[in-house]
Amino acid sequence: MSSMIEVNDLEKSFGNLDVLKKVSFNIAAGEAVAVIGPSGSGKSTMLRSLVHLEEVTGGSIVIQGKPLVENGKYVSGASIREITSSMGMVFQHFNLFPHLTVRGNLELAPRMLKRESVKEITARSRDLLSKVGLAEKADVYPAKLSGGQKQRVAIARALMLNPDILLFDEPTSALDPELTGEVLRVIRQLAEENMTMIVVTHEMNFARDVADRVIFMDNGEITESGTPSQIFDHPQQERTRVFLSKESRL
Amino acid sequence: MDYIIQISGPMLEGARTTVLLFLIVILVSIPLGFLVTLMAKSVIKPLAWIAHTYIYVMRGTPLLLQLLFFCFGLPQIPVIGQYLVMDRFVAASLGFILNYGAYFAEIFRGGMLSIDKGQHEAAKVLGLSKWQTLRKVILAQMFRVALPAVANESISLVKDTALLYAVAVPELLNYAKTAVNRDFTVTPFVVAGVIYLLMTLVLTLFFKALEKRFKFE
Repeated sequence: MSSMIEVNDLEKSFGNLDVLKKVSFNIAAGEAVAVIGPSGSGKSTMLRSLVHLEEVTGGSIVIQGKPLVENGKYVSGASIREITSSMGMVFQHFNLFPHLTVRGNLELAPRMLKRESVKEITARSRDLLSKVGLAEKADVYPAKLSGGQKQRVAIARALMLNPDILLFDEPTSALDPELTGEVLRVIRQLAEENMTMIVVTHEMNFARDVADRVIFMDNGEITESGTPSQIFDHPQQERTRVFLSKESRL
Repeated sequence: MDYIIQISGPMLEGARTTVLLFLIVILVSIPLGFLVTLMAKSVIKPLAWIAHTYIYVMRGTPLLLQLLFFCFGLPQIPVIGQYLVMDRFVAASLGFILNYGAYFAEIFRGGMLSIDKGQHEAAKVLGLSKWQTLRKVILAQMFRVALPAVANESISLVKDTALLYAVAVPELLNYAKTAVNRDFTVTPFVVAGVIYLLMTLVLTLFFKALEKRFKFE
């Protein structure tokens, strides 16, 4: 299987504080990987560094064979844009554009990038809104949507650019519990369609059911990784056990 | 009643100067203010420094002083002063533009600050350039946030045009004062007040409509 993402010895520090300590992992094409771990363990920072939303201080990142970070330095600006364009990202707080309708949110970037005709763009935005179950909300502004609907729009917006890889940064953490289901269903469907994805999440049941592989991060390090059953049923590390027992009590 | 109609003619003539000044200042100082906001946020330090100094000076001194300076001060400067003699209306317009530009710059800067950094991040991950992000994501939201403050500032400007009186450019208030002195009656002041109220009413309705149009709901 070909590697979509290869991360080696990734490091990030602020002064004495090490946010990421020699983090290494590979993601294969079509793989759905869940990243779990306590708050402040570096999960989000690791994910955000894959699309240059964070600076790093050491290590390397290779996306689909192309180097994005070498020796702790991002490649030049134009290359960053080209390499990260194969990745879509969904944020905890949706980050929809409030001044644009749902359709406007989906179509803004493809229209600016001008890689295809307006007709193709509008057709795809219609298809994707149906896919996430929001066809009837096309002309509504985000202010009128529930959290779950906003996040589904955000997922459709990320899909508009036909990404090879989707990154989810705690996609359900800002939602009321009764709204997480509708978002998780969409992500699950994408996983079943073999979208390559990394999902940073606190939803343990979702990680167990949907992920092909689970990565456990603590204190800036990947301390354990394996299949869901290895991590959830037979964790090898004490830290993983402590974390999972705390989570299951919630 | 006849008297009111009789003085209304010249007073509306004066109001024309007021409206003309208002339009010139609004149309130039809003883009100027936006430019200064961008300069103030620039990574090129001297540009940011110039913008901040400009804002500080224009906000920190009285508008009346600035008008007197442009109309009567500039020509007094040794050597170059003789080249700076301008029509007083032009000189006053310049003073107003520079003063209001500084206030608009601060209003827009506040609007920019209110925009969540998640908006920049989403735009970046979607592959928009900095310039595309500014144009398509940041500007629209900034103007929406700034709109009430811009409306407020515009209404202030209508009233501040009366400062032209101090540099002897004939406008609405000037005509009213002349009529009061000539005819020994307070009526022209009342008429002038009503004309100012009408102008601010138009602005108020205009900005209300704009706010409604850009509610994004």
